[in-house]
Amino acid sequence: MDRLGFTAMTAASRTMTSLQLRANNLANATTPGFRADMEQAEAVAVEGFGYDSRHLVRLRDNGVNMQAGVLMATGRDLDLAVQGQGLIALEGEAGRELYTRHGSMQVDAELRLTINGRPVLGEGGPIVLPEYDSLHIGNDGTVSVIPRGDYLSAEVDRIKRVDIPAANVMKHSSGLLMTRDGQPAEASEEVRLLSGHLEASNVSAVGELVASMSLSRLFEAQVKMMKAAEDLSEAGNRMIRG
Amino acid sequence: MSSALWVSKTGLAAQDTALATVANNLANVNTVGFKSDRAVFEDLFYSIEVQPGAQADQVNTVPSGLQLGSGVRVVGTQKVFTEGSMQPTGQPMDLAIVGRGFFQVEAPNGDLYYTENGQFQLNAEGMVVNAQGLPLAPGLEVPQGSSRFTVGSDGIVTVVLPGDTLPSEIGQITLVNFVNPAGLEALGGNLYKETAASGEPIEGTPGEDGLGNLKQGVLEGSNVQVVEAMVNMIGIQRAYEANAKVLDAASGMLQFLNQTV
Repeated sequence: MDRLGFTAMTAASRTMTSLQLRANNLANATTPGFRADMEQAEAVAVEGFGYDSRHLVRLRDNGVNMQAGVLMATGRDLDLAVQGQGLIALEGEAGRELYTRHGSMQVDAELRLTINGRPVLGEGGPIVLPEYDSLHIGNDGTVSVIPRGDYLSAEVDRIKRVDIPAANVMKHSSGLLMTRDGQPAEASEEVRLLSGHLEASNVSAVGELVASMSLSRLFEAQVKMMKAAEDLSEAGNRMIRG
Repeated sequence: MSSALWVSKTGLAAQDTALATVANNLANVNTVGFKSDRAVFEDLFYSIEVQPGAQADQVNTVPSGLQLGSGVRVVGTQKVFTEGSMQPTGQPMDLAIVGRGFFQVEAPNGDLYYTENGQFQLNAEGMVVNAQGLPLAPGLEVPQGSSRFTVGSDGIVTVVLPGDTLPSEIGQITLVNFVNPAGLEALGGNLYKETAASGEPIEGTPGEDGLGNLKQGVLEGSNVQVVEAMVNMIGIQRAYEANAKVLDAASGMLQFLNQTV
């Protein structure tokens, strides 16, 4: 039985996995702050004598597309968007830092600023607000409030913003971003925020649909190769039967 | 079976929920005191698949492996507490809160519910009640035959009692504030209930402690932005179609495999 069936199989199974990645991107095409995943395949030569023509396909570790998405105006004080490159730092479990571009913040019952339940980091740990009447977030991440009963605004803290190069970013299992080595990144002063806006996901629906169509056709070609391998071995069997 | 099918299914389900939210917002565009909902999406957990036999060469670091997402989910719907448009009605018992705060009403079982709908009336006993008959808390009773029901911006209620010529004070309407109003649970009927996420209700007089002033004869309309809702609807439709296409592609691939091999 010709081993070409296995080569085709690795390609077909890679196509199924890639399609899951594309489907995930499309499912999150309207999730604010979502960064699209990128997939890349590589050829892997089979080691050993006589396997020179066997090059299997393997998916490499994927990167994250850090292209900026479109800004949507929501008018909500607690909605933040990052202008250009940069990420907002959140506190993960065990002291790990996680990053995100989804800046839809909530104030929880303990008056901490949170994004999806995780506290937003300020200069010295999570940001805790006093009782306030109104809140404003400046372009450099400065959180200032008008305290309850007062009329002068007071600065509370500054949101920790980081700028990690795209090659160094990977996704944590919760879907948030983290650095590849797991260490917290340095705060960066260059990152600008914009309050009252949210960033849309950077998934290109057209790109994903075209990619999924191309994966479908690739899959069909691989299945045809598997059929060809089957036909070859069937012909061999017929010859032996006589 | 292909995981792409399940991932696309989460996309379709999430867009369905978002469309239901938009439809509810549009249905309530003329409801007094309605606060629009916003569906919040979040991507589902990622499974980190380590490639077996991953080789590291001398120069590059070992690749960390492939991360595959599992789709999207609707984390929850947030109520957006922005001010609605003020509609003057001229009715003396129509109240609007200009700024933050909620009216308290008492349910038959003694629980306190909160509302921003200021359409009040008198019931048969002269108590001030809302449209569903729930009395305003703390209770406010208007004596029989009084006229000139007036509410000041700080909540002091004065009426002219039968037989008098000068107005006399019969009570004060207090408002409550919450640390996190978005955490309140919506019960329908323009009523909200406190939850652990919203914090304790902080009672106060209108105009103090961050609470808004009361305005008599005005109602606060809904804060639904129709244009925004329409644009969201278009986005939802296209996202739904795109997810359905991927579902089709995955299904087609499996069908082809089944038929050919």
